[in-house]
Amino acid sequence: MIPPPEINWFALLPLLVLGLGAAAVLLVDVQMKPHPKWLVRMAAAVLLATAAGALLQGWWLRRLEAGETVGTPLPFSGFLIVDRYAIFGTLLLAAIALLGLGAGQRFIVSLGRRAAEAIALVLLSTSGFMLMLSTPQLVMMFLGLEIGSISLYVVAGFSRQERQSEEAAIKYFLLGSFASAIFIYGVALVYAATGSLQLFEQQELLSRVAFVKPGVLLIGLALLIVGLAFKVTAAPFHGWAPDVYQGAPAGMVGFMAAAAKVGGFAALARIMATAFEGYIETWATVVAGIAVLSMIVGSFLAVVQSDFRRLLAYSGVAHAGFILTGIVAGEAGIGSIWFYLAVYTVQLVGAYAVVAAVSGASSAGSPLASYAGLAKRQPMLAHALTVLLLGMAGIPLTSGFIAKFGVFQDAFRAGFGWLVVVALLASVVSFFIYLRVIVTMYMEEPLEDRVLVLTVPLRLVLWTTLAMTVVFGLFPVPLLRLTAISLPL
Amino acid sequence: MSLVVTSGWYMTLAAVLFALGALGILIRRNALVMFMCIELMLNAVNLTFVAAGRALGNLDGQLAVFFVLVVAAAEVVVGLAIIVAIFRRRQSASVDELSELAG
Repeated sequence: MIPPPEINWFALLPLLVLGLGAAAVLLVDVQMKPHPKWLVRMAAAVLLATAAGALLQGWWLRRLEAGETVGTPLPFSGFLIVDRYAIFGTLLLAAIALLGLGAGQRFIVSLGRRAAEAIALVLLSTSGFMLMLSTPQLVMMFLGLEIGSISLYVVAGFSRQERQSEEAAIKYFLLGSFASAIFIYGVALVYAATGSLQLFEQQELLSRVAFVKPGVLLIGLALLIVGLAFKVTAAPFHGWAPDVYQGAPAGMVGFMAAAAKVGGFAALARIMATAFEGYIETWATVVAGIAVLSMIVGSFLAVVQSDFRRLLAYSGVAHAGFILTGIVAGEAGIGSIWFYLAVYTVQLVGAYAVVAAVSGASSAGSPLASYAGLAKRQPMLAHALTVLLLGMAGIPLTSGFIAKFGVFQDAFRAGFGWLVVVALLASVVSFFIYLRVIVTMYMEEPLEDRVLVLTVPLRLVLWTTLAMTVVFGLFPVPLLRLTAISLPL
Repeated sequence: MSLVVTSGWYMTLAAVLFALGALGILIRRNALVMFMCIELMLNAVNLTFVAAGRALGNLDGQLAVFFVLVVAAAEVVVGLAIIVAIFRRRQSASVDELSELAG
């Protein structure tokens, strides 16, 4: 008889809390029909509980390393992993979802009875990306990627009455599924070459066996990189991002962009730093090429955009390039990648929170012209957006500067001096993108005088993202220490 | 003269099917057909998993197929819903007519 598998509930804790929480939101909505505001608060509580679960795992991991308790960091026969990398990623995703819910609160409440679905989708999407970064098994990673992405396709089309939201949903769906299919084909080819789906087994095999004809393996690796590059909007696979982020509901875009980036980059870095560590010379050049293309395409195309959301999407392409600059350093770059991701995704959610406030009830499109004279209409929004944009530009004294410095330093140490030069030039160009928006807000006269309402959650989100941008710019050491130890097993 | 069909043949067939699917995404303009091409790609992946699992003599590949099947089913649910919503409003499923978002 086959013994039943042992279930390690503790390793599942954050995912379990989040999944059950999403189900609970739907059930409570059906049974009690509360005001959507209460559902948002409930979701926030679920996310805090998830973060608490991850912290508990961190405490357990510390005791395990000190030899005070027994157990394995690789439960479920190596299908899940409890390491600092996964715990930090889980905490970051929970924070992003919390900020995203705050930024989208007004939109969610405006949905009325459909609010519960939107909230549940946000929670499920978060759980998917969490699974993606807390597993060393490629099929599980695919499953997490799809749970996260499919939920986001629905979120993108959530404003059913808006034609643009539908268009965003179908574009996101078709290209996102295309990317997922490429990723899973990469998994299949790597499996065919190595005979294993588990990253540690692959690593062991690849360090032991010299492949005479590594053709299938290398094609598989290339497809893995391409599939994930789609998800993190790296050029030349970024085509969908501006359209989707322009058409999706304004309140949800920040979460959509940030969560997919965290999941995608965390999975990419884990695959590259464990299984294919020994092949770094092969893939680092390819990743460096994608990084250069992303930085150039993102920076230059952002300059010519007339819609603020498209501008942020293209600047996101450039930022994907900067993060890939850290990935070429392999395992040595992981600390800086985490720092960059944490800093940038929080700024991204903050910036899209401003978009949500300026767009108001209409969800599609955010022409730059509607930001003219924002400093006179609603100074708080203009000041907040200025600090966030300066942070994205990487101005000294903001967290963005430390983040850029970190990835450039790692790439330089890994022998990619030329890549750092390109990255520095791209940073200069991208500074003008943000400057243009700031000038529009402060120097031009307002074109409309509609009153901009700032809800309490939105204010909280703006203050939190501002505080993180400034505090981690002035005192980066605690976060730097934390990211430096958040390494994969 | 006899021809031995090894798992390499199946994997080659899968590669051809996958390439056809990818090509279809790039050149076809009907959302429904593009969606079918994605399904073709996923089925090519399944064939690769099964053939590789057979050649390697381990069950991981067969197991992976179940996950891919379930994910493909979930994609059908969401994808068809989006396509139907678009078709109802515009009486067309051509992606060329979806061009409101551009800048």
